[in-house]
Amino acid sequence: MAKERSQAIKQAVKERYATLARRQTSCCPTPQIREGEGMYSRKELQDLPQNVAEFSLGCGNPTAIAELREGETVLDLGSGGGIDCFLAAQKVGKKGRVIGVDMTPEMVFLARENTRKMGLANVEFRLGEMEHLPLEANSVDVIISNCVINLAPDKDAVFKEALRVLKPGGRLCISDIVLKRELSLEVKEDMQQWTGCVAGALKGKIYLGKIARAGFVQVTAQDNSPREKSEASPVPGRLRDYISSVNVSARKPSVSG
Amino acid sequence: MKKELMEILACPVCKGPLELTVEEEDEREIVKGSLYCGHCSERYPIEDTIPNLLPPGLRT
Repeated sequence: MAKERSQAIKQAVKERYATLARRQTSCCPTPQIREGEGMYSRKELQDLPQNVAEFSLGCGNPTAIAELREGETVLDLGSGGGIDCFLAAQKVGKKGRVIGVDMTPEMVFLARENTRKMGLANVEFRLGEMEHLPLEANSVDVIISNCVINLAPDKDAVFKEALRVLKPGGRLCISDIVLKRELSLEVKEDMQQWTGCVAGALKGKIYLGKIARAGFVQVTAQDNSPREKSEASPVPGRLRDYISSVNVSARKPSVSG
Repeated sequence: MKKELMEILACPVCKGPLELTVEEEDEREIVKGSLYCGHCSERYPIEDTIPNLLPPGLRT
């Protein structure tokens, strides 16, 4: 992808999410489902401050599939208002730590305010880009991400960086939007569609292929969309023929020998 | 930003180590300061407790 277009997409995404952070509204065109199968449990939402529980821009619940253990270091790519970081922080406990990276200043400030409100000492947020992570190699146990990587113009760079910062044997646990069928060129060219999580999405097979090519092993995906069309879904009705929400797990190879 | 995090922070461009300068801190964390990468000759600001580690071209 041409560098200019890639920069233009990033700028559009940044502006869009800055507005969402200011208004604390969702990115999806229909009221979003936060609770239920594949999403957050009622208990998880009840334990969070109301504005945190109500402001989630994700399409899954990555900490539920990550099987986090006490003391682990977790990195959230595109941490937004911080909901997944806060859930992760409860799971890794005082000896663990959670780092949220987001490229939108408004989101990082919002997440920091939320952290203060909750009095959490093991969560930190920084401004950064997932294609250029400001972390040392082999420093993180688990990477989570919720409906963000689809927004990145260069997904190969994102997965390469994820692999670099993970410790050997470290896990990648992400929820994201993938395409069931190709979108028209018109839709793909539309910046608004891109920032609404659609135009940047790839077909599932291609998405998983990129993860494997980056060097991850045990790459698995599970459809997180409800079986029945009538059921509550993080994917708005008119888009369900085109996109689905998936949970993806993969592992960085352990050092051999 | 908490000082302990220096252990795993790296320059987003060259991934080299960063040098911390503290201008203001409270009992919990560094409020204002900067992170300097000697290899890239690039200074990343810490403002209002948040380190800005976006690559130089993306900082606005």
